[in-house]
Amino acid sequence: MQRMLTFIKELFSPPPSAPPMTPAELKDAFRKRYRNFRALLTANNNALQAMAELEKIYYSGESYRMAVIRSKTTTILVNVYKMISSLLEMSGGRYKDLEVIFEKISHEIEKIIEKKPSFSQGPFILPLAEVGEKDRAQVGEKMANLGEIVRVPGCVVPQGFVITASATRHFLTADHIAEINRRLQLLDPDDLDGLLRTCAEIRKDILDIPMPPDLEELLHVHYARLEMVSRPGCWLAVRSSALGEDAAGVSFAGLYRTILNVDGDGLVAAYKEIIASKYGARAIAYRRKRGYRHEDIEMCVGCLVMVDALTSGVTYSRDPSEEESEVVRINALSGIAKGVVDGTRTTDLYLVSRETPHAVVYREIRQGQGKASDQCADSSLTYGQIRKLAEMALRLEGHFGKPQDMEWSFDHQGALTILQSRPMLISQPQNAQEEAAPSSRAENGEQPILFGGICASTGIACGTVFRVNAASEMPDVPMGAVLVLEHPLPEWAPLLSRAAAVIAESGSEAGHLATVSREFAIPALFSLAGAMDLLADGETITVNASARSVYLGCRQDLLTQRAVRKDIMAGSPVQRILTEALQYITPLNLNDPNAPQFKSSWCETLHDITRFCHEKSVYEMFNFGREYKFDQGAAKRLVGEVPLEWWVVDLADGFRAGADAQGQTIRIEDIVSVPMLAIWQGISAFPWEGPPRVSVRGFGSIIFQSTMRPELDPAVASALTTRNYFLVSKNFCNLSVRLGYHYAMIEAYISDLLTESYVTFRFKGGAADMKRKAVRARLLAEILQTFEFRVELRSDSLLARVKKRPTEFLERRLKILGYLILHARQLDMVMNMPNAVERYKEKFLTDIEKMLS
Amino acid sequence: MEPFNVLIVDDEQEFREMTIKRLNKRGLRCFGAENGMEALEQVEKREIDVVLLDVKMPGMDGIMTLREIKRIQPEIEVVMLTGHASVESGIEGMRLGAFDYLMKPIELEPLIEKLLEANEKKVLRRQSMDSIRNDNSGAL
Repeated sequence: MQRMLTFIKELFSPPPSAPPMTPAELKDAFRKRYRNFRALLTANNNALQAMAELEKIYYSGESYRMAVIRSKTTTILVNVYKMISSLLEMSGGRYKDLEVIFEKISHEIEKIIEKKPSFSQGPFILPLAEVGEKDRAQVGEKMANLGEIVRVPGCVVPQGFVITASATRHFLTADHIAEINRRLQLLDPDDLDGLLRTCAEIRKDILDIPMPPDLEELLHVHYARLEMVSRPGCWLAVRSSALGEDAAGVSFAGLYRTILNVDGDGLVAAYKEIIASKYGARAIAYRRKRGYRHEDIEMCVGCLVMVDALTSGVTYSRDPSEEESEVVRINALSGIAKGVVDGTRTTDLYLVSRETPHAVVYREIRQGQGKASDQCADSSLTYGQIRKLAEMALRLEGHFGKPQDMEWSFDHQGALTILQSRPMLISQPQNAQEEAAPSSRAENGEQPILFGGICASTGIACGTVFRVNAASEMPDVPMGAVLVLEHPLPEWAPLLSRAAAVIAESGSEAGHLATVSREFAIPALFSLAGAMDLLADGETITVNASARSVYLGCRQDLLTQRAVRKDIMAGSPVQRILTEALQYITPLNLNDPNAPQFKSSWCETLHDITRFCHEKSVYEMFNFGREYKFDQGAAKRLVGEVPLEWWVVDLADGFRAGADAQGQTIRIEDIVSVPMLAIWQGISAFPWEGPPRVSVRGFGSIIFQSTMRPELDPAVASALTTRNYFLVSKNFCNLSVRLGYHYAMIEAYISDLLTESYVTFRFKGGAADMKRKAVRARLLAEILQTFEFRVELRSDSLLARVKKRPTEFLERRLKILGYLILHARQLDMVMNMPNAVERYKEKFLTDIEKMLS
Repeated sequence: MEPFNVLIVDDEQEFREMTIKRLNKRGLRCFGAENGMEALEQVEKREIDVVLLDVKMPGMDGIMTLREIKRIQPEIEVVMLTGHASVESGIEGMRLGAFDYLMKPIELEPLIEKLLEANEKKVLRRQSMDSIRNDNSGAL
């Protein structure tokens, strides 16, 4: 009940008793309010569009950067602020509490977006033997794991120490980082050349930063200790161990540098190189793609005594491309492991049963078969070594509780050293059909142009060939290209963010580029001999990496088998930030404008504020004609062949140029207001039949109503309220009809901009009793609903709206309203007669149909 | 289009000069200022209609400059411009009466459109003041 009363009160409150305005003041007030209304609608559009864009990137599964979040959020905030300012101006400061609410929400959003990761302070250097899981925040992922696996029985790791995150912050200070970030932010994200140039500059600057003397001294002390436990002048492998890469499914494989054969003299330079590799082009492109801010990653550096390796390789405790099969996968080659992971060398492959005694179920001796070498094929591992590797991989899997990806070396004495162990990255689930045997493809009569190689990342994709030759410069790869490479070097990783698929003549599934391809869910087919010669630039091909086949043209039949790409940003810091920020931006709590909760104090998000401002701006705009009293002298009487008495007030450009501005009258030919003319066509379409015949009982009711509510008595009403007024401009019209007992108002703005256009109709009252008045209101509501008006009906008050529709549609709606306000006059009196509703409804609909045809 | 005066305030010389050249070609009258102090001098010296103001400048930054411009010449419309926006500076600018907010890199067409809008607002405000004044004096 309370709601209904408020509704009625708001709709039909009497105009405030402000002094009448001169025509110029009225025009100015209208122009001002209208300008604010338009500004508010534009800001509303901009804000909603930016919200939609922000949500779109959030749900796309594609990558996005902090810069995008920042700029979209700022766009939203600025536009919401504009909406509030415009609404305050329109309403003369009503809804002032919106400013406070906005302040609160924008403060929360800002806090989320500008939040920096927190790091704890600790020692500069830790011996690897003392490092474990607990030191993750100081030594990084890789070294924490390496320290941890010493606890696994039989597991030997190299001697060494870790230069911690605290040391890095001591070397590379907040000022340095701020300067680096500033330079990176200025870069156009698509400008690879610019990125490479800037990265080279940053690297040089980092190498030029003097090493803090205390850190340098400490470094030499620890090196001397290593010399004592291994041998004087021992060589170290200096490896990155980044912090903050711990989110699920993110490998950061091969992004940062590893420097081999470093002695005591080269230690400081090597350390700086590793720190600088955080800002390598690959690392930057990767972080952007995966949703990491640069400050989310901190570099720690492991210094490990080098193993004199006879054979090295990578072992997966489960086959990454076939998780279901119960096998351990081993890739091995002679010498150090570098050739496995950087993809330059072909490796021997062993698939070994996970069950003891770990029988070799598959063996592929590929070393010596590549075109780079002409040695004859020979197994790089003995069965004893294979079994040892399988046992160790399973033991590590048991220790960490998930499948592991382990890097190792056998030295010349046959001792096994584990260089690294980390959770395995699983390729996306495959569609069973992808694994179809080559023979079944012949059904279509189209044979692959290339077949074979190693599937390094599953999937099917189509694109145009782009062959990458020179390693010296980063080529300008078109979006969606199929990269064709000689060697899958990790250096090409930045190109993957633009590629549809990758083909290489060498390499294996264990290389860094393979790992990155799997992460980006880009199909990769490696060790495919002859690809560089056979495939021509610009040629469209379809790569089915899973079936190790390449087809000419775009094979839609294959592409439809594709699995859905995974969310590349999942779990990243940038995604977390957007998730949190969106909570204050997009949810909409204010749905129903008639609900008691539709108040500024219930606004919890920016979307709520836009909804509230929009609704109230429409209200403030629609009230223009009611709120402002105008000097009657401003109105001109409409003359000519017109029924009843109509007056017109020009607010801006509603009269034809050259029409008599000083005269007391105006002709319909002199009016150029688009909405008024449409209404007028409706009014003049059919002559009014005059008041319906009223029974004695009905007449008695009128007398009764007049006694109860003297303001409704025609004899008491002021001259102003008994006239019909048009307030017009070229695009705007407000018609108020207040004749004795009923009140009707039509308002419209018609513009080419759909979002600004609206038609509103309000109707209330009558002379009969409430029941009959309500019946008439319902009759009108039903007719309007058939013409797609949004209708709200409370007893005898009716509010009908259409908005955001094309001009022609709205003009027809105005004609209908024009027709109805004339022909529904005094109809309430007969609404108690049998079949009256049906009869009039039929008549009205027939007339309207005739009028619109 | 009636030509109007635009002041470009940006410490990046290349951007400033390029923008002035392009906007002049399109019929606007543009002037440049390298920093906040220079901008204030220009505003006092010339009849500036719209200011395009970079937020991040060494010394007196865009927000401080905006505050001063609005104090000296409240009628001038200011469009804020920034390379890497902090969320706060966007709102702060609006609060201090900036007309709007654009982000670098900005293309020429949206920039011109925004400057035209800003100038239109200034003209409209002046017109409506004039019409009320004339109307009232006519009534006397």
